[in-house]
Amino acid sequence: MDFSIRAANVEDCKDIARMIVELSEYEKVADQVKVTQRDLEQDGFSKNPFFHGIVAEVPEQHKTKDGHTKIGYALYFYSYSSMSGRAVYMEDLYVMPDFRGKGIGKALMSKVAQLGLAAGCNQLNFTVLDWNKQSLDFYFSQGSVDVTASMGYHCMRCEGEALEHLAQP
Amino acid sequence: MLFKVRPAAKEDCKEISRMILELASYENMTDQVKITHEELERDGFCPNPFFECLVAEVPEEHQSKEGVTIVGYALYFYTYSTWKGRSVYLEDLYVMTEFRGKGIGKGLLSKVAEVGKKKQCVRLQLSVLDWNAPSRDFYAAKGAQDLTDSEGWHILRFDGRDLDNLANEAPED
Repeated sequence: MDFSIRAANVEDCKDIARMIVELSEYEKVADQVKVTQRDLEQDGFSKNPFFHGIVAEVPEQHKTKDGHTKIGYALYFYSYSSMSGRAVYMEDLYVMPDFRGKGIGKALMSKVAQLGLAAGCNQLNFTVLDWNKQSLDFYFSQGSVDVTASMGYHCMRCEGEALEHLAQP
Repeated sequence: MLFKVRPAAKEDCKEISRMILELASYENMTDQVKITHEELERDGFCPNPFFECLVAEVPEEHQSKEGVTIVGYALYFYTYSTWKGRSVYLEDLYVMTEFRGKGIGKGLLSKVAEVGKKKQCVRLQLSVLDWNAPSRDFYAAKGAQDLTDSEGWHILRFDGRDLDNLANEAPED
């Protein structure tokens, strides 16, 4: 199937918001999504964006039953390792179920890697839930390593009241 | 002990680089440190910096045995959660051994949280090595949750040749 990958623009935020909800449903956390289309527009397309996006599009004749031609996306931002320097973090990678198995996910991820290398990054990092075997198998088959398993890194988070408390001098 | 937490200036990069090596030594990872103060200067002080940094400074009369007054740092950058929005990621938090137990680590951490809050960040995230009990305890005491333990999150990475191979397979524009 023909598809194209391109940089997201502000008009894509409606479709990206839709697909973020679809991805959260797959990850069983749909009720936790607070980010809206407007947040994406403000946070991704202002002077100092918090993220960048790429979208996968199919031609009109392959659109979904609901009429969508934007059927996948990857959202990423630049990060930094104090040991190895510039890095890129892939926050989301998603392809609508009907369009899987056609190389679109691989193409999106490769594009993030290519953009990262062009920006001087030497790592592409992301996180996956340990029960998500399908995704883990896909990522391992592409050559990624699990640094939680191999090096013992644990992800930690402060939010809500704990973060409020921490931010007080 | 009196100390001050302030944004790092470009001139601080040599001291930050020194402390990165000290932290790497504690984490048994000195062979993995590939960058020097030059990369820090380039990447932290350009128009779209890859990171921001705070340093902790003590007055001259409290300088370390080697004569340094910059005794700690916190290196962080902004990230995004597609569920919750703007976040801040704490890449490094370090205080020289002889200056611990004086609230400097807490001072640096709180300042990062405060800076994040001003930018409307709703999360502060970091990673800790599983064997690093003092650090895990420090963050847990501040209310941090371990998402690897509680939700099963694993960090995956592409680097070196695997990253090159992946990038080479990207579709033409």
